[in-house]
Amino acid sequence: MTLARPVLPPLPPRGRRWGLLIGVAIVVAVIAYLAFSSVGNALVYYLTPTELLARGPAEVGKTERLGGLVKVGTISGEAPELTFVLTDGTTEISVHAATAPTRSFREGIGAVVEGELGADGVFEASQVIVKHDENYVAPSQGGLPTRAFDPGS
Amino acid sequence: MKTRILGFVALAAVIGAAVNGLFVVPADLNQGDAQRIMYVHVASAWIAYASFGVTALAGLGYLIRRDLRLDALALAGAEVGVMFTAFAIWGGMMWGRPVWGVYWQWEDPRLTTTALLLALYIGYLLLRRLTDDPARRAARAAVVGLIAAVDIPIVHFSVLWWRGLHQGPTIGDPSKILNPSAPLQFVLALLAMLAAFTLVWAYLLIRRYQLARLEWQLEEDARRGLVQTARLALPGAAAAEEPAR
Repeated sequence: MTLARPVLPPLPPRGRRWGLLIGVAIVVAVIAYLAFSSVGNALVYYLTPTELLARGPAEVGKTERLGGLVKVGTISGEAPELTFVLTDGTTEISVHAATAPTRSFREGIGAVVEGELGADGVFEASQVIVKHDENYVAPSQGGLPTRAFDPGS
Repeated sequence: MKTRILGFVALAAVIGAAVNGLFVVPADLNQGDAQRIMYVHVASAWIAYASFGVTALAGLGYLIRRDLRLDALALAGAEVGVMFTAFAIWGGMMWGRPVWGVYWQWEDPRLTTTALLLALYIGYLLLRRLTDDPARRAARAAVVGLIAAVDIPIVHFSVLWWRGLHQGPTIGDPSKILNPSAPLQFVLALLAMLAAFTLVWAYLLIRRYQLARLEWQLEEDARRGLVQTARLALPGAAAAEEPAR
């Protein structure tokens, strides 16, 4: 009748169980928040130029995300003072950006800008996000990538 | 011993695939060196899917067979999956900053559903600690593991179902498996990294499974120790030795 090992408590103390319950409650709350925020907003992560203009003059001055392709030949100015045109193929909106995009920004690429539409029809962007697509291209033999990583932009 | 050999092979494979991805294969023309993160980012995401798939299938198996070894496998899948999901998110942030210009965008469906996936399985791991009854714990975890697995296809197809910032699949779409939107050397570098990560995954799963069995043994011992204490408390057992502290 000897015991070889120390007796371990069969259940964690009450305090720890409450801590765990609170932890689970926090996780459930986070999940609920994520689920609702994603259902509510993710469907309209950005508006296309057509959708933005279809909303009419009420949109002027409201913070929105606008997405489209940077129209070829419309980029002018030097970062951080850029103007360019975003298009969805049918509608175009001029964008003025006061912040520099990353170096992957170029003509023809997808971009999402955050800001507000001015009364003059120019979208004032406070942020320019460059969308890259799923296509990858290797540089030609012996060539180097044209746009290297630039942490400063 | 066999598991240890697997560990060393996995380590060597990861080093080999990393050297290939960093120095042998050229970087993408438009994104530059940041694109090299894709190899670890995509491989971790796929391994995370597989891990949570293991958790769901092992949980289902437990509900049918009531074999606690399946529960140990489900636990291993969830823990390893949480690790790979966190790694995929971290790698994605490191890739997003130089190319997109932002680390994170809450409203992007791919990013948000992946964050949800991480939260779901952290919740799964917390839930496992709520009860000490192995059978009840295994059954509850199996149900939650099956429900949480619903998010796996949602994460994968989020880039096709909703408008967002994250790009679509390069080869992970059924129509693109034989016709990827990337040069062959990029695809091979990704597959090499995926193979290396699969070895690491197998090693971690086996080790976590073994650990779960040891923990289980410890719980069993503790329960038996409790039974003996109870017996000591009975009249007539007072002559017995004091239990070791």
